[in-house]
Amino acid sequence: MESKNVLVVGSGISGIASALELANAGVSVYLIEKEAVVGGHSASFCCKATDICSKCSACVVLDKIKEAVIHPQIRLLTNSTIRQLSGEPGNFRVEITQQPRYVDEEKCIACGLCTEVCPTDPKAVYPPFAEATPFSYILDEGLCLRFKGEKCGLCLESCPTKAIEFELKSKERELSVDAVIVATGFDVFDARKKGSLGYGRYPNVLTGLDLEQVFTRESYLRLPTNGNEPKNIAFIQCVGSRDEDHEYCSQVCCKYAMKLAGLIKYQNPDTQVTIFYIDLQTTGKGFAQFYEKYKESIRFVRGVPVEILQTVSGELEVRFEDISQGKVCRDTFDLVVLSVGISPRKNSWDLARILGINLADDGFFDKKDSLSCNETNVDGIFLAGTCQGPKDIPDSIAHGIAAASKVIQALAESASQVRSNQERH
Amino acid sequence: METKIGVFLCNCGGAINNIDFDAAVKEIAKLPNVTCVNLSPNLCLEEGKEKMVSCIKDENIERVVVAACSPEFQEHIFREVLEKAGLNGHLFSMANIREQCSWAHDGDVTVKAGELVKMAINRVRLLQPVEKKELPVNREVLVVGGGFSAINTALQLSRVGLRTTLLEKEAALGIGNEELESFYGFDTSSMISAVEVDKNIEVLTSAQMKEVKGKIGDFSARIRKEGEEIFRKYGAIILATGYQTELALDSELKSGLNIVSQEQLCRMLRNSGLETEPKTIGFMFDFSDENSRFPTLATLNNALAAKKKWGSEVYVFYKSVKVDSEGMEKLYQEARDRGVVFLKCEARPRITADNGRVKIEAKDFFLGENTILACDLLVAEELLLPSEGTETLSSLLNIRKDSRGFYQDENVHLYPIASEKKGIFFIGGCRGDLDLGRVLTDISSVVMNVHELLSSGKILVEIERVKADPQKCVACLTCIRVCPHGAIQLVRTDNSKEVAGISDLACYACGICAAICPAKAIKFQGYRDEEILAQIEAI
Amino acid sequence: MRSMNGHIVAFCCEHSAYPAADLAGKLRLHYPESLRIIRVPCAGRVDVIHILKAFENGAVAVLVLGCEDGACHHITGNTRAKERVKYCNMLLKEIEADGRPVAMFNLSPNEPHKFVRALNEITKRIKESGR
Repeated sequence: MESKNVLVVGSGISGIASALELANAGVSVYLIEKEAVVGGHSASFCCKATDICSKCSACVVLDKIKEAVIHPQIRLLTNSTIRQLSGEPGNFRVEITQQPRYVDEEKCIACGLCTEVCPTDPKAVYPPFAEATPFSYILDEGLCLRFKGEKCGLCLESCPTKAIEFELKSKERELSVDAVIVATGFDVFDARKKGSLGYGRYPNVLTGLDLEQVFTRESYLRLPTNGNEPKNIAFIQCVGSRDEDHEYCSQVCCKYAMKLAGLIKYQNPDTQVTIFYIDLQTTGKGFAQFYEKYKESIRFVRGVPVEILQTVSGELEVRFEDISQGKVCRDTFDLVVLSVGISPRKNSWDLARILGINLADDGFFDKKDSLSCNETNVDGIFLAGTCQGPKDIPDSIAHGIAAASKVIQALAESASQVRSNQERH
Repeated sequence: METKIGVFLCNCGGAINNIDFDAAVKEIAKLPNVTCVNLSPNLCLEEGKEKMVSCIKDENIERVVVAACSPEFQEHIFREVLEKAGLNGHLFSMANIREQCSWAHDGDVTVKAGELVKMAINRVRLLQPVEKKELPVNREVLVVGGGFSAINTALQLSRVGLRTTLLEKEAALGIGNEELESFYGFDTSSMISAVEVDKNIEVLTSAQMKEVKGKIGDFSARIRKEGEEIFRKYGAIILATGYQTELALDSELKSGLNIVSQEQLCRMLRNSGLETEPKTIGFMFDFSDENSRFPTLATLNNALAAKKKWGSEVYVFYKSVKVDSEGMEKLYQEARDRGVVFLKCEARPRITADNGRVKIEAKDFFLGENTILACDLLVAEELLLPSEGTETLSSLLNIRKDSRGFYQDENVHLYPIASEKKGIFFIGGCRGDLDLGRVLTDISSVVMNVHELLSSGKILVEIERVKADPQKCVACLTCIRVCPHGAIQLVRTDNSKEVAGISDLACYACGICAAICPAKAIKFQGYRDEEILAQIEAI
Repeated sequence: MRSMNGHIVAFCCEHSAYPAADLAGKLRLHYPESLRIIRVPCAGRVDVIHILKAFENGAVAVLVLGCEDGACHHITGNTRAKERVKYCNMLLKEIEADGRPVAMFNLSPNEPHKFVRALNEITKRIKESGR
């Protein structure tokens, strides 16, 4: 597999899994990522262990990111997107635009001197989140005085490795690759679209992703309004899934809600947790062993609420139809967590057009047919991860590995075709 | 022997500002065996690395200590620097004076930094070189099973040039594919034909595994086929042995004529000459087993098929539909649109026989009322259970199962299809559940993993990183029993002594064996007792 | 260069506690300076002799930190470590040296707060044992 090049678009867990497999097989991998840091959404998920590991796989993501970032066969290009694709399988030409980072990640040693001297508030140059890879500082054009026309070069002067450069423009690169794996991930459903649930209006209404980040940053749950410990928490399932606009189950929400609930109960056994659901997805490897425990400690209510109102005292009143009582009920909670689903990326259209691949009805990238798991309508372009449809972390890793497998199989087939053509002549 | 140690400190461009580097350098230079001490502003960058290489060569340094950031991301970079300077990469130790010292404490941390460096020096003094070598591996793959997963894995392995043996205990391939075929419309016989003409695939039917020895790259299998013993060697083993189902019914009802399994219903639907088409069909699922996806998949597909083919009235009793697989929500909506009636129940319905028909009594959750349905045919709830061979194979291979008895420990780090032993994999239904999307992914991902291991016919490994000293080993078998990865077996030395032999291919270098050995015979380079104790003594 | 107040030795597994300690540093979470971390490939590599030698050498407490229960990369490493720590506690009690705490903690690589909490817990125990 030497001298083969593959482009992996997106450095979330699935793209990383694909890149690692191909790299270990001797292929040269270009891993491009539109953000300044790699890892996608799952890099900022929290550990949900109680007294035992709850198999949420958040730690597996960090392991894999580390492996990918130090792998000699993987060339990482952050701040990069595809502008154009031409050619055919075995011979694609990809034009990549790399936005200037202003802080050279190869030179930045994360010393922090630039942040110390930066005069703006909030700081225009700052470290990425702690688990971020590469752990090089980020310069925000929007905040930086220099880009507003002022003369400031304090960070540049303070940098010991001369990693900061303001005169950078976006760079164009052209890559020649044998195949492309699309692993661009998903958008989190914007809970503000369900206005009646109060996200964005009531500070104590959070999404599942917000909760993950609270636990990663602070490791304890406190109410955003007053910093107290919440005593009564509600999770609302299927926010942005299984509705007219999303005719699919996001696959991850029931499990992450239960595991987060389990973590909350472990930290504070007196906290009441209620989960409002339609159909409880209690499947998957390693889930059965937890389910019995959850059944005992969590209150499950069948029926998803459609309205949340904040009371005068700041509590959240959830209105739902209690089927067993046959009427509309109101329960009050300190904190409500909306289990938001996995949505296709808004910019999938652009990428689909550039690559010539199809989008399915639900907005995710389409597979070639029902018996393929990674192939698209274009030979040589494969899908990995949630950009093809909702998946949890283990499934995303598996899907990424499967995409790499399809690439290797396609390369092997074309190699044997070339050989048999040669033999014929 | 006096080893020459070079110590390289990095101050991250002057940003590590709570360590008095001048004082530290002075103290370190006084330590025994320290030939040179250097301070650099950016050791991990090109300039810094080049200076390191020159220093090592010029001063004939034999061991290197770097005091800088965390080894987690930089260790491999510095090991490369050593190789470039002509030293074995293992003669290296790192002191984490940034993340675990400078950044973790307020105030002056010079004393701690100095101690961390001293710990690393003490350790590095004792380190031994470890060489790398390519070891040959057998490129043949054994796939145990003969269903959809096994067949397609063999075909994909063939595509990447790997030869496979399909080991099937039944007399033919494709048994057990009935349901998947009905639901997804693929043709098992054409897949089997493809296998039969594929020169890379050997099919052994009516054959069972009787014994397996060895490890990755070198498994020896004793197979019994129709009374004959066959011996084969393989580089990797893939288990695709599926699962079995059992009707979750009271025993007196199980023998009822009009109570069938999903598989039986599939057959009835395919059978064009059915005597009487059932007018009313009842389905039940998700009461006794709330952790499987397949019952939902089967019910939705069969319910729709029965509606389309026979125009029957279809009622589904369930607790929660498991729609967390691709296409399931759409299928569920389609079933509802086509008039399949779904009755959500909290408690398991009561089943009784009723004059040749089946009576289902359940409390409908939404109506809050008891519902009684008399149907012509009941498709009973099925439990997914490990297949018959699972227990046998797992003890033959000595591999762990999960809490439900299916393959693959639930240890999250073993995902997606690996076992705790290198070279042994599980795919498809034998992992405990089934849906097409995940099965297809399992198949392709195991092909990738096996290709990565075996395709070049050799694997690069560290030689004797962990080794049992034949002089001290008394063959007590403790390490063999304890190794979580099955990497140790009894071997004969040149003097015919039986000792523990640790396979360089299968070893994960965890050190559990080194800790447990009662004779302290196991040497784990880099983490030998003396190397750990030397660090403690430096404090 | 011996530190003035007794030191704490922590054996940190490279899959869990060691990266968690790194992360604590990146987040500038502070913990006692008297901590000395020894990196091991698995908590299961830590042997009783290592723990006892640490005390012999003047440690006021010893920690063994490994992966969460059920998440050990090597399946049984963290369980074995826990048993050894228990055994050490028993031994120390027998020789009436049980004023020296030795404890096992389980965490994931993305739990820097748990790392710091473990240290705070052991520091509390040291104070309570009056050393």
